[in-house]
Amino acid sequence: MVFPTDGNVLVGLDRADDAGVYKVSDELALIQTVDFFTPIVDDPYWFGQIAAANALSDVYAMGGIPKTAMNLVAFPVKDMDLSVLRAVIQGGIDKLAEAETVLIGGHSIEDKELKYGLSVTGFVHPARVLTKQNLQPGDGLVLTKPLGTGIVNTAIKAGMASADLTESVTRLMAALNRIAAETMARFDVHACTDVTGFGLLGHLAEMVSGSGRSVRVFAERIPVIEDALTFAAMGLIPAGAYKNREFRAGMIEVGDGMARERQDMLFDPQTSGGLLICMPGAQAEDLVAALKDAGLGDAAKVGEIVDGPAEKIRVA
Amino acid sequence: MKEIDARGLACPAPVLQTKAALQEEELSSLRVVLDNAASQENVQRFLDSQGYETLLQAEGADFWVIGTRGNARQRQEAGGPAPEAALQPGKIMVMCATDRMGFGDDELGKKLMINFLRTLKEMGPELWRLVFVNNGVKLTIDGSEVLEDLQAFEKEGLTILVCGTCLDHFDLLVRKQVGVTTNMLDIVTAMQLADKVISI
Repeated sequence: MVFPTDGNVLVGLDRADDAGVYKVSDELALIQTVDFFTPIVDDPYWFGQIAAANALSDVYAMGGIPKTAMNLVAFPVKDMDLSVLRAVIQGGIDKLAEAETVLIGGHSIEDKELKYGLSVTGFVHPARVLTKQNLQPGDGLVLTKPLGTGIVNTAIKAGMASADLTESVTRLMAALNRIAAETMARFDVHACTDVTGFGLLGHLAEMVSGSGRSVRVFAERIPVIEDALTFAAMGLIPAGAYKNREFRAGMIEVGDGMARERQDMLFDPQTSGGLLICMPGAQAEDLVAALKDAGLGDAAKVGEIVDGPAEKIRVA
Repeated sequence: MKEIDARGLACPAPVLQTKAALQEEELSSLRVVLDNAASQENVQRFLDSQGYETLLQAEGADFWVIGTRGNARQRQEAGGPAPEAALQPGKIMVMCATDRMGFGDDELGKKLMINFLRTLKEMGPELWRLVFVNNGVKLTIDGSEVLEDLQAFEKEGLTILVCGTCLDHFDLLVRKQVGVTTNMLDIVTAMQLADKVISI
């Protein structure tokens, strides 16, 4: 397929990145992204917040600042009370306010199933766009949120998660990547993405593909939701995690003796996951410390970029 | 063997269905039938976490998980190191050639037999075959006081053999409610394979 383009497209469809980037001037480029999904939590207000945090995340992952947003709504108006829709949209608005982003429009249709999301536009300096490319040998990888939301959501569906856990995971998914993005902006970052449906290793594989580099992942240092390990051992794993594992099997080598549950975390599809930041190794621990100071206590250095064998991910 | 059909269900429903089945009754063996590899792996993990030994199998378009484990008593003891006998249970065959225990008072003999069969489960995983011949087959038909107990044994995975010649002799073939109708060759083979044969 050939996509229409022009000289101002900095990041387009030819590269599977988190958002499109279009240069307006030498000082300004627009970041555009859209994301929507069916409810992942029961509470409509929290669903609205999570959907907004998830849509905004792509702008942060590109190194930008979100500015405007539009709602996308599909609603079963005959089967569901309008108060549900109001709560969803209020959740979105509150999350946008937290991100200092304005809602300037939207569109809704009638549908059998509730769906909500946003199209978000952000600003970035054309020279400071962060993509999934530009991995350098010796770089460190920093992850800003713990993994395991897909598995915990499966346990919630199964009625096996406690109320406390449900609430803490809901808050985690609704948490903006704003602080992470603002903190990393003070550092010399080489590449960035956010961890969502493909899981940590799926998104890392996208970064490694075409880079000519390899990655070493330190499984033991990866932040995880502890309860997710227990649920994984009981088989409460979303089908997406298995698809993610299968899809990237050829690129990934897992060291002997690693607990199966810990491996599951690496492929678990995340909703509104954290940023995965690639930067000079010498600065990575400083970023982790700065993120922790800013309140992101789970942030950790989880891997490093090495030269060859090309485009493999080694997990040990 | 208890079969759970979890085809057409999305995660986590197959695990929940399996979990519900185990909560309903204690199963020493079960087969879960699924229609995708992800559910198969999830159910395997669940059964692993519940102390089952699992085996994966592909059957046409279906994916099977077969789980087996010792009986309930063994599970309760599973906290500590398992005694050697539990690790490699001996095979005990119990053959009942009568519907009453011992000679003397027949009423007492019948009561004792019922009590005996109900207490048999205390043998644990070593109980391997329960065989009924001659008057014993009358314990396996409708109206038998121990029918429910025998059916529970069977559900837990115990093989119950019932002599076909004997059922035929008493004209009870259609009234048998539990166990597998068998012949003398099977009974003799079972005797040969058993570590211990107890005859009543």
